[in-house]
Amino acid sequence: MKNRVRELRSAGGLSQGALGAELGVSRQTINSIEQGRYLPSLPLAMAIARHFTTTVEDIFEPEEND
Amino acid sequence: MQLSTLLPKRTRSTAVLVVFGGALAAATWLSGDHGFAVALVVFYLVAAVVVYLVAGGSSDVAAIMRTDGDERQRSLDHEATRWSGIAMAAVALVATVVLVAQGKDPGGYVWICTVGGFSYVVALFLLRRRR
Repeated sequence: MKNRVRELRSAGGLSQGALGAELGVSRQTINSIEQGRYLPSLPLAMAIARHFTTTVEDIFEPEEND
Repeated sequence: MQLSTLLPKRTRSTAVLVVFGGALAAATWLSGDHGFAVALVVFYLVAAVVVYLVAGGSSDVAAIMRTDGDERQRSLDHEATRWSGIAMAAVALVATVVLVAQGKDPGGYVWICTVGGFSYVVALFLLRRRR
């Protein structure tokens, strides 16, 4: 699963820690999501989408093998 | 009142070590092995201090020790617990088979296997109703 979290976060000038604090998760979790190592739960994915005022589908996109 | 409201998050893991380490040391003392009991007290006190210091950090391990991790950290904890359970079950099963093959009493290993198998079935039954 590819995602645009890093791109959107950087565009907003937020650090991983700051985004994590706003979403109620750790900096490490934001880093893992950005690296594609951790797939967030649906509530967290929706919280991320709400934070960037967009949709889950706009941020997370399945890859061929997903 | 819950444990979570009685103790600050950082001290919970520390308290578990102190309480259970203390109980183990007391039992060892009562058995007559005073030297080993003192060694256990020292070991668990050092471990408690290390855990208290580590739990004050910002790492994944610290958050798990404080039992206030986010969803990813909780999933790490669950996964690590699952692997730990698999390792314990494997040791208990192998030990039971080996001891029985040697004509010896497998003793506590049988209880571990029995409790593990029974608790798995009960947990599966209960979890299945929730999901």
